[in-house]
Amino acid sequence: MLADWWQYDFLRYTLFSGILIGLICPILGTFLIVRRLSMMADGLSHVTLSGVAAGMLVSKKVAFFSAVNPLFFGMLFAVVGSLFIERLRKVYKAYQDLAIPIVLSSGLGLFTVLISVADGFNTDLYSYLFGKIVTVSIEDLYALVGVAVVVLGTVLLIYKELFAVSFDEEFARVSGVARRAINLWFMVLVALTIAASMRIVGVLLISALINLPVAASLQIGGSFRQTIFFSIVFAEIAVLGGLYFSYLLDWASGGTIVLMAVLILLIVLGAKKLRSLMR
Amino acid sequence: MEQTIPGETVVKLTDVSFQYDEKVVLDQVTFSLDRGDFVGIVGPNGSGKSTLMKLILGLLSPTKGTVELFGQPLSKFRDWSRIGYVAQQVAHGAGGFPATVREVVASGLVGKVGLFRRLKSHHHEKVRDVVERVGLTAKLDQRIGSLSGGQLQRVFIARALVAEPELLILDEPTVGVDQESIEQFYTLLRSLKEESGLTMMIVSHDVGVMSQWVNKVACVQQRIHFHGTAHEFAHNHEQILAHMYGDSVKLLSHHH
Repeated sequence: MLADWWQYDFLRYTLFSGILIGLICPILGTFLIVRRLSMMADGLSHVTLSGVAAGMLVSKKVAFFSAVNPLFFGMLFAVVGSLFIERLRKVYKAYQDLAIPIVLSSGLGLFTVLISVADGFNTDLYSYLFGKIVTVSIEDLYALVGVAVVVLGTVLLIYKELFAVSFDEEFARVSGVARRAINLWFMVLVALTIAASMRIVGVLLISALINLPVAASLQIGGSFRQTIFFSIVFAEIAVLGGLYFSYLLDWASGGTIVLMAVLILLIVLGAKKLRSLMR
Repeated sequence: MEQTIPGETVVKLTDVSFQYDEKVVLDQVTFSLDRGDFVGIVGPNGSGKSTLMKLILGLLSPTKGTVELFGQPLSKFRDWSRIGYVAQQVAHGAGGFPATVREVVASGLVGKVGLFRRLKSHHHEKVRDVVERVGLTAKLDQRIGSLSGGQLQRVFIARALVAEPELLILDEPTVGVDQESIEQFYTLLRSLKEESGLTMMIVSHDVGVMSQWVNKVACVQQRIHFHGTAHEFAHNHEQILAHMYGDSVKLLSHHH
């Protein structure tokens, strides 16, 4: 059973993709959550969905685009959506969290209209929604590797700026940090990550992988670095365990990964409770 | 160890006005801060004292007039690590943030170290030194959520001091801090000033306590109503405050 993972290309691609997603999603998730933007992933994933639908539509109608992976349309839409959220957060200063539902609804609205215009797709839309491991192609993997390199490179290069801006934006600004540029770039990275991750966990479940491992690590991390570290560990366990069981039991990969992440969170919460009771 | 050069102007506001929409918040304010000053900015809510502070920090630009920092006009000033800033505690809400005292204090170096550069060993040493200076060495690697209000405030002071600023600006530093910590806090500021000749500006509505510690006071209410030594202020404060606050001053003196 385990040997299958090396024998079949699509399983190998899935495995590599899973490992990369388990690395970058919780890193970005940690910064998002401490900035109280945990809903961001949900908003952007729905915009990505509309992008994927748009991509499918143009590849169906326009011959020139027929070979283009709809994933790239998803990425484009997600980036535009993230910039739109940043803009809306400035317009509604007092109700910043309103930006996300606005963008989420727009994305979902556009998605349903595009489906009706296309009069249905041959492609399995279900796999984009909930993730399906057999659909991961080498092209998907390359896109994800590219995104992962950019995300990890950014975090390594401007970790201290990201920390400063996330912890106290006003102080960062007074210190002369280019917080606008950093915020914008960070949101673009989140958008790209969501778009690139959706083949594995699916658009509707990606926010779980961004938020749940961090929710667990927040409980035990002794420092910010440790919180990021544990969130990666939890995410990797969820991804690898989830992929394994989804293949073994023929369950939806996205759902299995999310359930693993929920299980980890419950174990961490339970262990913490137990420890405080034993004191 | 006296490093101050008396008379050197650190901050200079000339005929500064600031309007927010139609409302005039500051009206032709001229104000300066000399090296080594420990000045308290006093004024009722909405008097423009926070605006004055934000103008100096570059968070706002004046509608009219000029702001100079260390002899440079605000628009040209880039050396923000020369100015340390401690914001109001309540504004932070940072208690639940999963960071240690060490991480938070180190974030004060972000502007000084510069983009794409990592902290070096002498930076880490500086972080330890400044945490020791504010008396929190025992808490260095603890999450800030485990600290008391007074301790958290000292973390923020350490974060502002770690880049070795020449001017320290504190906004309502004693709000939400218990009485004993306030005493400790001012003692710490005084010793910092004596040791390193730090220039300090405190914005506070708590006139009574603050005026005992600072050496200069400026009263702001759209304009500067008084700008002089703390000694002069102590002698005339009833008149000055009555002029600024009107009747509400009675209410204020009941509380303090």
